[in-house]
Amino acid sequence: MRLSRSLSITSLNGLPLWEEESLPVQDLLLFEVSWEVTNKVGGIYTVIQTKAKITVDEWGENYIMMGPYYEHNFKTQVEKCEPPNQAIKAAMDSLINNGCQVHFGRWLIEGSPYVILFDIGSAAWNLDRWKGDLWNACSIGLPYHDREANDSLIFGSLVAWFFKELTDQLQDKPNVVAHFHEWQAGTGLVLSRSRKIPMATIFTTHATLLGRYLCAGNADFYNNLDKFNIDQEAGERQIYHRYCLERAAVHCAHVFTTVSQITAVEANHMLHRQPDVVTPNGLNVRKFSAMHEFQNLHSMNKGKIQEFVRGHFYGHLDFNLEKTLFFFIAGRYEFSNKGADLFLESLSRLNYLLRVHKSDVTVVVFFIMPAKTNNFNVESLKGQAVRKQLWDTAQSVKEKFGKKLYESLLRGEIPDMSKILDRDDFTIMKRAIYATQRHSLPPVTTHNMLDDSADPILSNIRRIGLFNARNDRVKIVFHPEFLSSTSPLLPMDYEEFVRGCHLGVFPSYYEPWGYTPGECTVMGIPSVTTNLSGFGCFMEEHVSEPSEYGIYIVDRRFRSADESCNQLTQFMFSFCQKSRRQRIIQRNRTERLSDLLDWRYLGRFYMYARHLALSRSFPGKFKMDHLNIAPTQGFRYPRPASVPPSPSASLHSTPHHSDEEDDDTYDEEEEAERDRQNIKAPFTLGAEPEGKSNQPLENGN
Amino acid sequence: MVLVYDEVRLVDVLDSGDAAHLAMMKRPDLGVTFTKLHCWTLTEYSKCVFMDADTLMSYLRGKSSLPHQIPAGLIASTLVCSSSVPPTRPMGNFSPPAQRMAALMASGDQGVLNSFFSNWATADISKHLPFIYNLSSIAIYTYLPAFKQYGHDAKVVHFLGKLKPWDYSYDTTSKTLKGQSQDSSDMHPNFMLQWWELFFSSVLPLMKEEYGDQPFHSGCTESDIHADVAQMHISHHPPPPQLSSQERKQKWEQGQADYMGMDSFENIEKKLDSFLK
Repeated sequence: MRLSRSLSITSLNGLPLWEEESLPVQDLLLFEVSWEVTNKVGGIYTVIQTKAKITVDEWGENYIMMGPYYEHNFKTQVEKCEPPNQAIKAAMDSLINNGCQVHFGRWLIEGSPYVILFDIGSAAWNLDRWKGDLWNACSIGLPYHDREANDSLIFGSLVAWFFKELTDQLQDKPNVVAHFHEWQAGTGLVLSRSRKIPMATIFTTHATLLGRYLCAGNADFYNNLDKFNIDQEAGERQIYHRYCLERAAVHCAHVFTTVSQITAVEANHMLHRQPDVVTPNGLNVRKFSAMHEFQNLHSMNKGKIQEFVRGHFYGHLDFNLEKTLFFFIAGRYEFSNKGADLFLESLSRLNYLLRVHKSDVTVVVFFIMPAKTNNFNVESLKGQAVRKQLWDTAQSVKEKFGKKLYESLLRGEIPDMSKILDRDDFTIMKRAIYATQRHSLPPVTTHNMLDDSADPILSNIRRIGLFNARNDRVKIVFHPEFLSSTSPLLPMDYEEFVRGCHLGVFPSYYEPWGYTPGECTVMGIPSVTTNLSGFGCFMEEHVSEPSEYGIYIVDRRFRSADESCNQLTQFMFSFCQKSRRQRIIQRNRTERLSDLLDWRYLGRFYMYARHLALSRSFPGKFKMDHLNIAPTQGFRYPRPASVPPSPSASLHSTPHHSDEEDDDTYDEEEEAERDRQNIKAPFTLGAEPEGKSNQPLENGN
Repeated sequence: MVLVYDEVRLVDVLDSGDAAHLAMMKRPDLGVTFTKLHCWTLTEYSKCVFMDADTLMSYLRGKSSLPHQIPAGLIASTLVCSSSVPPTRPMGNFSPPAQRMAALMASGDQGVLNSFFSNWATADISKHLPFIYNLSSIAIYTYLPAFKQYGHDAKVVHFLGKLKPWDYSYDTTSKTLKGQSQDSSDMHPNFMLQWWELFFSSVLPLMKEEYGDQPFHSGCTESDIHADVAQMHISHHPPPPQLSSQERKQKWEQGQADYMGMDSFENIEKKLDSFLK
């Protein structure tokens, strides 16, 4: 039951709202071009869809998104309408009159932005001519077999053609700003620039083509960044043309951005351009009107997971569910990029530590990574059936017992306890218990995996020997399918599941941003990330004691694999040692970070990028006046001169530096003060060049 | 050799005494391979990795725990090893009965090892080195698709067959191989060149020191400097036949862009800069 956010409840009072209206949006048109507008393929869809609202709030009718037209998407996600702007209509018409279909409408998402969708199929007859155009303009050719690249060329050619028509009509006012996402949209940028169309261009890469390939290929990526011959690497992997399109777009854009500091480092070497701005990915954070409602949801959903565990581990339920923690990892099945390899090794060490310390804590670890399966395995389904049967048995015995008790009380007698359960009841109960006999161990996976001997997760589980034995304090459940609320096994959708868990673990080796840990944080669930993940870098910059706020950052960049593994093990072990009260307080702190991930804060980086692009493309008209950009500081309230910058003696800035009793208290005012000291926005907006320290802006106070 | 290695141990050349049998297989050199079995006597070490004389280790990519680049067994009489590369524990004496039994095996040491460690293939999969650690350079001997996929990851390259890298001669200026013409079933020149580059940069200087003034056959040749200086400056590589723009475009469309040459991104960037100004 969610209500829209009420402004009075802000966790982070310290972050300044972006007050300046720096751009004259009424004299501008903003276009955002991506292959994933109304067309979900990957994560970029989530980025642009969640960002739409604040962009529309700023730009109103002057914001239009552009993407490919697919009939199914159009019917389900778009409401057709006429373009309100005459120039746009005329530009669309000139394409339509030349045989290419173009559609206009409102995308039915929050913000309801306008969209222009280009029908690739209808324009495909131009492909040869446009291939020639591309070749003549930049000496890049496209192989016949790469459908996606050819589609991208058609899309880009249509977009560039549209912009030519549009700017021809508009002349100098309003000016056009166009923001292109990823190489699939980048062709439009390159062609537009080659025709010297007067517009400001921004290109954002969410991950580099080569980066992902090289990491997945087990290269010691981050330590050899400057040693790769990137032309050769791309050529050998048959993606040279895509790589050229990506690099061309990066080269031609007025402003180049990436989604995190770590991706900026990657882009510098893989694309040979240092990003001008880092534009992190945000979310639309919805706050509840009841302040700690999310804690209740945690409790409720945890109960559902416990029900699943009761069934899955029937016959082996010799551990206390009240002292059981639920950890999970989720995402695409990229074994080393997502850090599943490190996680498994770490879990085996954690198991050892817990056993050696004779801990009574049990950890059940869920792996939610879709793989090829042949439906649920019988053991898992049987487990849930047995559990249900036990519940029904208990209920029916309870009914009988309850009736007898009632009758007896009505007669005014206390029943004879030795006779209240008769022999039949005992037989039923004994039979039920007999059904819970189980000679095999609870399975480590919930499905029948295809090709399970080659599966990396299963192979590693075999290697480390964690098979849910009674003595193991770490139990594993590999669920190789997306969660669904209609599943017979675990009827929860992803969000409910995350809320019910205690800790999300994402020790990624390659993660340009990381929506998974971000979503956890927004729901108040602590998570483990790395300093190779965009999200991890972001948190490192913004929060001075991230562990206290439930963000554990494993160092995978400057340490060996073994050391990183030990660090991860240590994080998990210390988490296991927290009391329930301490976990509750930590979740409160984690949830306070959600404002940092809201588009309301992160949108400013996009605004800066647009302003910068305009100042570079129309230098006479738009100036980049640094004084106009609000200083990116975390302090709304100026500190009185007498108070020293370091934390005052009576108030610990680190919540952890306190005795046992302090940890058990949670005071809203104190927390807000700690937030102001611990959470800051970095001074620089752009990407930091490697090796240099932060330079504050001149007017930073 | 002592300069490069920490310990050098001479080994008696064992002979299987079965020259007739082996000669029939046209591989008389296999008799010498029994010498490899002596490696099991290296009991003062806890782990050994056997590298054939004709293997090349490259650790250009990947987190390698093996030692750095050395062309193992560069000089003919060094360590020999089994034709598959198992890291094993040395075991002490190899008894004479085993040797006699071995003499009966036509396939040289491979046969002995296989029968001795007959459960090796199945017992513990972790004892097998992954494919990339034992990559044979001859196409027919390898599983070519795997080579294509993992080739760039190769950590050890094993030059099987009669023609070894040192059978060719190496031209140091143009960095090409010369010598017997290669038949089509033959090695990948990439790895050959790598072997030679390494030999030239790391080993040859040491050999030169050793030999001092005595001339020796190094296998390297330098092009005649005097005659071709002018030409050398103009074109380091012989220029490919000039393709028309249309032809180059077609090459791209067949997925054969010349990414190391004409179509390198540097050139594309220049084209882009021409309209960005």
